[in-house]
Amino acid sequence: MYDVLIRRAEYEEFDDVKRLLADNDLTLEDAEYTAIAKLNEDIIGTCSFSGKIIKCFAVREDYKGEGLSLKLVTHIIDEMFERGIYEYFVFTKPENINIFKSMGFKIVHSAYKVCLLEGGKSDINKSIDEMFKKSGLGYEKKSALVMNCNPFTLGHRYIIEKASKESESVVVFIVKEDKSVFPFDIRYSLVKEGVSDLKNVKVISGGDYIISSATFPSYFIKQLDDRIDAYTNLDAHIFGKYIAPVFNIVKRYVGTEPFCKVTEKYNNALLKILPSYNVEVELVERIKNSGNIVSASFVRNLIKKGDFNSIRNFIPDVTFNYLVSEKAKGVIERIENEK
Amino acid sequence: MEIKRIAKCGTFESNDIYVIVEPNSDGGVEINLESIVMKQFGEQIKKTIDETVKSFGIKSIKITAKDRGALDYTIKSRVETAIKRAL
Repeated sequence: MYDVLIRRAEYEEFDDVKRLLADNDLTLEDAEYTAIAKLNEDIIGTCSFSGKIIKCFAVREDYKGEGLSLKLVTHIIDEMFERGIYEYFVFTKPENINIFKSMGFKIVHSAYKVCLLEGGKSDINKSIDEMFKKSGLGYEKKSALVMNCNPFTLGHRYIIEKASKESESVVVFIVKEDKSVFPFDIRYSLVKEGVSDLKNVKVISGGDYIISSATFPSYFIKQLDDRIDAYTNLDAHIFGKYIAPVFNIVKRYVGTEPFCKVTEKYNNALLKILPSYNVEVELVERIKNSGNIVSASFVRNLIKKGDFNSIRNFIPDVTFNYLVSEKAKGVIERIENEK
Repeated sequence: MEIKRIAKCGTFESNDIYVIVEPNSDGGVEINLESIVMKQFGEQIKKTIDETVKSFGIKSIKITAKDRGALDYTIKSRVETAIKRAL
């Protein structure tokens, strides 16, 4: 009935896209591809994606209920498919749930302000089952830690060792999302090697459902606003509802957070929410060395300063050996160039 | 015949079905179906998909389908086209 054109937004159209999003209390951020629905000269709908995440979705009030959403989202999904993305997620307001459900999306978790749905081939229950099977872990009761380890420090080692002593079995999830200076492969292998003497500790990838840009988009964008409460709660609920029961996790260890407000809010969300899924949360005081709290951000600062003598006091040999090796050159350069 | 790559066919429009086919590393025919009429026609839709797969003599395939109330003819042709694109 209308001559609506669905296509990629061109550079000079982004101001209009932003205006439409603003009318819907949304902002255009970190979008790798933006589509628009155009009728004559008006932009009446928009949708974007970045990686596996469909986002920034809005349709102008007077064109709602005419199937535009379906066309926009289909265009985005087709574009993702072309780029080899077959599993995708969408964060949206609860009032949009039905639009996505009609396209075969399933609710992962719905909270007060934000709802996470998954579509395409992704299936949280299956993924977690596969993650568990691949880990080779048994059904015994476990303690869990979720760490980014950017990079692996003596602080991480201390808390893993504490968990190892106090638990029958420990599983360490390393955040998979590659938005940190140290790439996942490096972060993962340093921890794995660095705790190989602790026989009851297993180090595995955190996958798509633990602090990923799907469960927790703001973890990687360190700005503080009210969305963070929504996201920290979402991640905590997903851990409690889906991951803990499959892995038989009864306790989660968390390090105290003196610097980063986002992580502090995340800790508070875990403390509040996980016990309702029968997962105990223990806050562990961070260790200090010569008056300084041992943290990965502190270590990155020392790298930036080129202070490799002091670094030795904060990181285990495995991380130090990596840092002075040829392989670390690119990473160190990137840290030095950070603002 | 063998499924060599991932391919899709269909849309999310009403009365259509969206089908993704891909190789199945575990072997066998695996069908993951979501449908708005799952309770009434879930089994029938799966049967139609399965028969279409068998008519190609395909032994190993993974199918993800999102159904919006498609008729048998539609299901059959969407699955068939997706398979042909994946060969």
